[in-house]
Amino acid sequence: MTVVGKSWSRLTLPGKIIFTVVPLLLVTTFVAVSAIVLLGPTIIDILAANLPIVRFVVAVTIVLLMTIPTAFLIIYMEMKVIALMNLRIGPDRVGPFGSLLSVVHGLKVLMKEDFTPTGADPIVFTWAPVVTYLASVMTLLVIPFAPGIFGQDLNLALLYFFAIGGLSVVGLLMAGWSSYNKYSLLGGLRSAAQVISYEIPLTLSVVGLILLAGTMSLNKIVEQQSGWFTDWYVFQQPLAVLIFFIAATAEANRTPFDLTEADSEIVAGFATEYSGMRFGFFFFAEYVNVFIISALTVTLFFGGWNAPFPWPWPVTLDLDPGSLGILLLILVAIVPLILTIVFAAPVWMISARIKGWQALIVGFILANLFIVAVIFGLAYVGLDWVAGIFWFLGKTYVFVFTFVWMRGTLPRVRIDQLMDFAWKWLLPASLLNLFVTAAAIVVARSVRP
Amino acid sequence: MDRLFKSRLERRFADQLTGPVRQRHDETEIRIAAGDVVAVMTALHDEPDLHFQFLSDLAGVDTGVVMQVVYHLWSETTPDWLRVTADGLSREDPRVPSVTFLWKGAEWMEREAYDMFGITFEGNRDLRRIYMPPDYQSFPLRKDFYLPDDAARSPGGGVRPMERTQAPSTTPTTALVRRTPV
Amino acid sequence: MPTSVPHQSTDDPRVTLDRDLGVFEPVPPYPPRTEREAEFYTLGDGEMFINMGPQHPSTHGVLRVVLKLDGEKVVDLDPVLGYLHRGVEKLCENADYHQAICYTDPLEYVSSLFNEWAPVLAFEKLMDIGVPRRAEYIRVLSSELNRIASHALFLGWMALDLGGLTPILWSFIERDEIVDMLAALTGQRMLFNYFRIGGVNGDLNHEFMSRLGDWMAKATEQIEAGNTLLNENEIFVRRMRGLGTIDTATALRMVMTGPNLRATGVPFDIRRAHPYSVFPELEFDIPTRSEGDCLARYLLRMDEIKQSLRIIDQCLHNMPDGPVMAKLPRLLRPRPGRAYAAVEGPRGQYSTYAISDGTDQPFRMRIHDPSFIHLQSVGLMMPGHLIADTMAIMASLDPIMGGVDK
Repeated sequence: MTVVGKSWSRLTLPGKIIFTVVPLLLVTTFVAVSAIVLLGPTIIDILAANLPIVRFVVAVTIVLLMTIPTAFLIIYMEMKVIALMNLRIGPDRVGPFGSLLSVVHGLKVLMKEDFTPTGADPIVFTWAPVVTYLASVMTLLVIPFAPGIFGQDLNLALLYFFAIGGLSVVGLLMAGWSSYNKYSLLGGLRSAAQVISYEIPLTLSVVGLILLAGTMSLNKIVEQQSGWFTDWYVFQQPLAVLIFFIAATAEANRTPFDLTEADSEIVAGFATEYSGMRFGFFFFAEYVNVFIISALTVTLFFGGWNAPFPWPWPVTLDLDPGSLGILLLILVAIVPLILTIVFAAPVWMISARIKGWQALIVGFILANLFIVAVIFGLAYVGLDWVAGIFWFLGKTYVFVFTFVWMRGTLPRVRIDQLMDFAWKWLLPASLLNLFVTAAAIVVARSVRP
Repeated sequence: MDRLFKSRLERRFADQLTGPVRQRHDETEIRIAAGDVVAVMTALHDEPDLHFQFLSDLAGVDTGVVMQVVYHLWSETTPDWLRVTADGLSREDPRVPSVTFLWKGAEWMEREAYDMFGITFEGNRDLRRIYMPPDYQSFPLRKDFYLPDDAARSPGGGVRPMERTQAPSTTPTTALVRRTPV
Repeated sequence: MPTSVPHQSTDDPRVTLDRDLGVFEPVPPYPPRTEREAEFYTLGDGEMFINMGPQHPSTHGVLRVVLKLDGEKVVDLDPVLGYLHRGVEKLCENADYHQAICYTDPLEYVSSLFNEWAPVLAFEKLMDIGVPRRAEYIRVLSSELNRIASHALFLGWMALDLGGLTPILWSFIERDEIVDMLAALTGQRMLFNYFRIGGVNGDLNHEFMSRLGDWMAKATEQIEAGNTLLNENEIFVRRMRGLGTIDTATALRMVMTGPNLRATGVPFDIRRAHPYSVFPELEFDIPTRSEGDCLARYLLRMDEIKQSLRIIDQCLHNMPDGPVMAKLPRLLRPRPGRAYAAVEGPRGQYSTYAISDGTDQPFRMRIHDPSFIHLQSVGLMMPGHLIADTMAIMASLDPIMGGVDK
């Protein structure tokens, strides 16, 4: 054994980490800094020349990165909310109120053994979760989160959405078939049949909306719903909302339509043979799907990023903290202290049992909350995208909560009842909605030229 | 204890009873030979004044000398339970006709009696083992079944060294254990 | 030595797994030995086998079911038992009369007191022992509480097998309260070991009575709340109505008892048909329904809970004073004889046939269990339904594998 080898093996684990990471970091820093210094201006010129592409790449990266925390949040929400509905406590230990449990789940899923079952087709088996996940995540590209914050403003955004969403069938079928397992096969076929059946009412229910709005671009649909909440399309297309919501539940394989993962019948359906990160992909894809259909419902029918009321007066905030100079520094130092004392005083005076230092801690927390609220208020008033994101996410999470609520309450339908419902009830209803909307538009246009 | 019932049974099944009709507490018991099971059970089931439509239990019994199959029946015509004991089955090759033609629910009870004792029910469409693995060699509830040696010597019992006993030979110690798998 | 069946155990270190395993087909590795095996294990055109193995989230314990499927429809069904077989009957033969009662507790572990009651009655008949009236009333009281606990659990399982996650947790809350009550009385939360030959193990105590009083005060509305969660749910009702229908003649042929038989229209209840204990003095109805489908069985069990509450009420009002245990010698040696006793449990008729040969150990103790009988009928009800319905039907028959496998 060489000297290097021997001394390497004598290192402890932290030592090994330090001795690999630190040199790597130094080298990377050196290379990066020299690249920036030498090539910086050239790179900026290239980027500036291709701004749309740059914007697109950045948007896509952010979208991909944001799906994971969203999925984590929705997973935690589901566990906690269903637990509370079941009159139990749910995640409790990992982090305050168990909120870090999703992170732990994510890490656990990464650390599991990564195997392919005997007899499974390795290529299809490996790529199935990727296809499903991509089909979910690519639809996030067109959803407008706030004025100016969206991936891409396509003219055919809605069409793109449904087209890409249909790709998830391919992923499910790939998973079911390649697992070399009868349960998976049954699950995969069931889910393919389900998703395909419910896509038709899903798209048809939205066509009425497209006729009303005159455009398929999601940005423009949201802009048309600005103003009071009565401008939202839910009041003009109530039947469409209902059909869309039900069909979207079936598309996302959520209860009461979750027979593909009906764990009391076919173990885990198409995902029986998956474990580790591959299963993690399916898992994330499902929860991202929930977020996406909630987001789409909100975008199409409930005003997107619009607040329910229009802001009554125009506001221009001309804040220039830099002009204060040294006063800014003094303010930043003194204001938190003053706020802490201001909030601590009533807390301390309320009860004799609260000691001074406890009151100060509570005061500090309240001061922080106050400062955050003030900053948020300023951002809300001053920057339109803050308000947009706030309302959009609020409304979306109301719908996510509804999905979670349905999961905790309703039992599952059977596959033949599911198909019956799609073909005999939802499809005629969506066609009816379409005809009535079209007729109403024609009549309205002829009355009022 | 229904005395009238006892006399009715004695009159009706006079030539099939192999012993006196006994009564104790709320049970009436008759003993018949294995070959008479079909006739007696059909009569008990179908005749309107007997009307024993409800088979309550079907058990095998190994008395050490002979084997028996015991049926318990209930009817609304009498407040007693009726126990029919098909007696005198040999311990080497116990055979008895099956009552699955009257009660299909007796099928699994007969399978259990076969599995535990080795009693063959002729006419049962599904006479295979129900609790023990299908290649098990012995019949556990027999009086000559001594754990764990009998169990360990079957092919299904014990690949792991811990499941093997100290029994030296591979042939069963008693001649009463079945040699051919059924 | 007979030729052994070529079972390759994967625990055997001599077996190497480099041969191509293929998909596991749940077909036995020997040619079919009986008519029914041959009929089941030959595949028709387009059919396939699927194995709902002993480890499955939905079978009620370790039960293996081989389904023959035509697409999604089930053509035939073969339950394979024995995964929980503990040899209780053989164990009882080597044990004392008192010890034998302890062995019967874990048979249908959800409703242990009924498992104990049948052998206790049989042994009392063998030994001609009379039970004090107070002990009889306590037996009825505790076993009716156990019946309610068992039915509450059935409700939860039924919903869980259909996909609802909430009702089972609510049932466990109800069951928890009852089980805590019974723990105050018997000392144990689940396998009670309370009945003795000649009486019960201990008298009612203050904690039991106070818990019982609190619970009875709110029992009715709690049960109503649990009911309305499911009875008025459209999805639940549509999935259960018309499913697994059995008519009266078939039920009688399949020797069904208990709520499964009463749901087909036959008002047969051992407590009225062949009364034991103090049931002749108690007033209660026998709920019956005539449709014979899963919904009828489910609603019937809910009605039975209400009747049990009535019985508990009457027991509390009419409880006589006196001893709770008859005076018995320590070593019980009955004269040779036979005895049979049956009780009406939450699943049907539990009965024991005990043979004594004059020693202090029973010569034969035959246990007849209702879940065992009912599981036979699943094969009759299944053909034509879908896989999802297998679970629903099995859940509605309410089998407990401890009793099925003994």
